[in-house]
Amino acid sequence: MDWILDFYNYRVVGQYLPEFARGLGSTAWISLLALGISLSVGTIGAIMRMSANPVLWRIAAGYVQAIRSTPLLIQIYLIYFTFPALPLLDRRLDELEGGIIALGLNAGAYMSEIIRAGIESISRGQVEGAQSVGMTYLQRMRHVVLPQAFARVAPPLLGQTAVLIKDSSLVSFIGVFELFGAGLVVLNERLMPNEGFLTVAVCYLVIYTVMLSVTKFAQRRLGGATG
Amino acid sequence: MTNETPIVVVKDICKTFNIPGRPPVHALRNVSNHVAKGEVLVVIGPSGSGKSTFLRALNGLETIDSGSIVIDGVELTAAKANLNLLRQGVGMVFQHFNLFQHKTALENLTMPQTVVLKRSQSEADEIGRRLLDRVGIGDKDDSYPSELSGGQQQRVAIARSLAMNPKVMLFDEATSALDPETVGGVLDLMKELATEGTTMVVVTHEMGFAREAADRVTFMDGGEIIEEGTPDTVFDDPRHERTRSFLSQII
Repeated sequence: MDWILDFYNYRVVGQYLPEFARGLGSTAWISLLALGISLSVGTIGAIMRMSANPVLWRIAAGYVQAIRSTPLLIQIYLIYFTFPALPLLDRRLDELEGGIIALGLNAGAYMSEIIRAGIESISRGQVEGAQSVGMTYLQRMRHVVLPQAFARVAPPLLGQTAVLIKDSSLVSFIGVFELFGAGLVVLNERLMPNEGFLTVAVCYLVIYTVMLSVTKFAQRRLGGATG
Repeated sequence: MTNETPIVVVKDICKTFNIPGRPPVHALRNVSNHVAKGEVLVVIGPSGSGKSTFLRALNGLETIDSGSIVIDGVELTAAKANLNLLRQGVGMVFQHFNLFQHKTALENLTMPQTVVLKRSQSEADEIGRRLLDRVGIGDKDDSYPSELSGGQQQRVAIARSLAMNPKVMLFDEATSALDPETVGGVLDLMKELATEGTTMVVVTHEMGFAREAADRVTFMDGGEIIEEGTPDTVFDDPRHERTRSFLSQII
């Protein structure tokens, strides 16, 4: 059994369990908050993109284009280092805030394209049904269009969320401790990359599996009998 | 017919569809009509005659180019008209039901009540269950539209409109998409509503229904009202050649 210990020394992993747990928790929180931002930004962006108002849809289109054409790592650096120069806040964003906002804005661009496809797939009849009972634009969106749109695009949204969770490892570059950082600790202190990064990889896999079942549940709840 | 002011007054409405690369389609040419309280107006005519456009204009789903539509004293065509508020008083039943696919039959009835009319959930539930019973599908409250037959879905749609206490109900070819065996039941329900004094405007190809339930029949062709009168005069003694030829084709 020695060859296993040579390749992957689980006793060392056991010693670093607190770091991995802390990193896992941190990654989960960062991803969850970034997901919240990305879904909000994505929904607003999708609605703006479909607006007849040229100012609104051009802003939304420009945002998506800007995000898609630049690397996420640069976006994280720009938000973290450049944002404080803006006179909006009276203090600097810390690493965690900057990282989460950058991740959220990045994923939001991709989410908005997915959500837009979902909204456009809802038939005109659903909107007219809602109009005929006197619902306002916001009521129609909130109670009729968006629930069905989200249910329909839940699989691609899940895929984008998986990308977001994996991408969250990049915030370690601005000094945020998360799952990838826990792996780095094992590498730096013990020079054991397998123990560090194989464990990290398995953790990402576990998060993804949990996400998958949550999405299936949500899809059933939102989509009615047909899903 | 009563002497009161009509619930629906339509005056000289025109609508032209401009499709690029094709000649413009005059869907409505100076159409005027009115519907009194408790009256059942049935609009018949060949497809493309403008009858659906006319009906959809009555709740603002179709905008018109000129003319005026007044529903219960409120001008729908005014620049500042609150269409959403106005539509609360105008029920609409569609050919393809347009039920909310992600809601159960009961939720289809209760959600608009709680969201639009701000009724409490318990009040909306009570009204919803009573109306589902009323349209004969009280046992289907938990079913999603996709689990119901066309006839059952149309009953839910009618109940959904009734739950809003509309002043007038519009039916846009409500039985055209149904299986033949379920058409009769839905027509019977519509006849019951008519005899109960519901104000209705019905666009249909069901001449039997028109003859039995209508107070007045309007025949439209080419975006114009060609002929209008009681069912007996329009069906048994049509004055216009176009009405005669349409009726001879369809009956």
